[in-house]
Amino acid sequence: MIDVKGLNKTYGDKRGVSDITFHIDKGEVVGLLGPNGAGKSTIMKMMAGYMLPTSGVIELDGVNIVENPKAVNQRIGFLAEIPPLYIDMSVTEYLGFICEIRGIPKKERKGHMEKIMGLARILEVKERLIRNLSKGYRQRVGFAQALVGFPEILILDEPTVGLDPKQITEVRGLIQDLSQNHTIILSSHILSEITMTCKRVIIIKEGKIATMDTVENLANNHSHGYLLTCASKQEGAVDQMKAVAGVTEVTEIESANATFKFMIKNESNVDVRADIFRAMVDLDMPILEFKPMEYSLEDAFLQITNIDEGGEE
Amino acid sequence: MWYIYKKELKTYFSTPFGFIFIGIFLLASGIVFTVYNLLGGNGDMTGMFSILSNISVMVFPVLTMRSFADERRAGTDKLLRTSRLNDYQIVVGKYLAAFTVFLTAVCATGFYVFLLAQYGYPNYSSIMGSYIGFILLGATFISICLFAAALCETHVTAAIFSFGLLFFVVIAKSFGSNLQIPVIKDIVNWIAITSKYDDFSRGILTLHSIVYYIGFSVFMVFISVKAEESQRYK
Repeated sequence: MIDVKGLNKTYGDKRGVSDITFHIDKGEVVGLLGPNGAGKSTIMKMMAGYMLPTSGVIELDGVNIVENPKAVNQRIGFLAEIPPLYIDMSVTEYLGFICEIRGIPKKERKGHMEKIMGLARILEVKERLIRNLSKGYRQRVGFAQALVGFPEILILDEPTVGLDPKQITEVRGLIQDLSQNHTIILSSHILSEITMTCKRVIIIKEGKIATMDTVENLANNHSHGYLLTCASKQEGAVDQMKAVAGVTEVTEIESANATFKFMIKNESNVDVRADIFRAMVDLDMPILEFKPMEYSLEDAFLQITNIDEGGEE
Repeated sequence: MWYIYKKELKTYFSTPFGFIFIGIFLLASGIVFTVYNLLGGNGDMTGMFSILSNISVMVFPVLTMRSFADERRAGTDKLLRTSRLNDYQIVVGKYLAAFTVFLTAVCATGFYVFLLAQYGYPNYSSIMGSYIGFILLGATFISICLFAAALCETHVTAAIFSFGLLFFVVIAKSFGSNLQIPVIKDIVNWIAITSKYDDFSRGILTLHSIVYYIGFSVFMVFISVKAEESQRYK
């Protein structure tokens, strides 16, 4: 459905994003994940037709968005990081204006707006001035404008930023409702949000794609290690495990009640399980449990983006 | 375009900007009318408009300073750019809305003509010429201010830049008459937009002046569109 090929954006001498290439299928919910300033918003603005790339192609079903933004505008709903609102208008006036500029026929507008306000759960504030609404409601009004015309694709740039926990839950619920019928591209630097709402993740680092995969695969592919629990421990067991080809590190992490736990780290492309098993048989160390270490998306994200404990890159 | 026009016009009167412009314009014109016409016992309004054409450069920036800065601050420029509207429709809609507010203020000065008609014998053809000239001049001022606003990110910078440009085109009239270098003198005289107003103030409607003002306004609106288009590359 959406093809992004070799996308570049430079600001003077400074490179914003570089060589961004990915494909999104119809109905997918894809998360753009990355630290602040990684280039997520820049990619989204270009996909929405708001900003022109320095080079590269964005195609929606074969139509080049960069060359023909007006041809695909009706098919894309965009919610920027700061919801674009005319605060001196009431919610109804605002959505009426959006319907006008998006070409919703006059006779259909009222019904269309009611539907959208129902979806965004803002019917109760429809006559109020936007300037008098809470941040959560403003965000939902922003959502509502992105839904005008029921575009197939929704591009949501940090949709929960600045909201309180209750509002975040509400907005996530809304995204999950919308994901039934829309292709959604969502950016966030909040990992739990991506885990809860997206099937696939594109991690951006310093303006480039660091990796892209499903949430599960990302966590699994970066879990290059196992937890081994044995019923006994022999002299030299750690050294013998280290001698297995592909093992990079072995640490004894717990010894209590006649169980001995070891953390084994290995090279990503080597499966060490069979050799470790044979080594345990040779050492006469009965295996009680042998499982991959459970990595979360957060672990994968930190590993990919090389963020240290202080949160700095 | 009409959607933008309606939205802008409503914004002028739901925020203080429209009222401030009309208020200051009527205050200035009222003072000039009182001093020049009522106290001076003068039934000719061309003098009032001549003075107004110079002092109104301080008021026009108020009219356009928020045109683009507000949209950029609120992020609503993203809305407009990702809609079916093109940059021409957006800029022309904003221009026409500002022009309508200006026209409203000018129409309110019709009360002065009524006063003159009650107590004297005004020269209606001269008054008509002055009105047409002043409206054309105002339309040109607005187009210049709109261009300045399209280049600026905030209200303050838009107002200062607009005032600077208007001040330059107004003083260019006296500046140009003292220049000796032929080409530069021609350019400065072309830019001196108030010099073309003299014909109108004498009650003469010339096609040359009308085309000049309309052409100048169209050109400024055109480069405002280009300035707005360039935002997509930022």
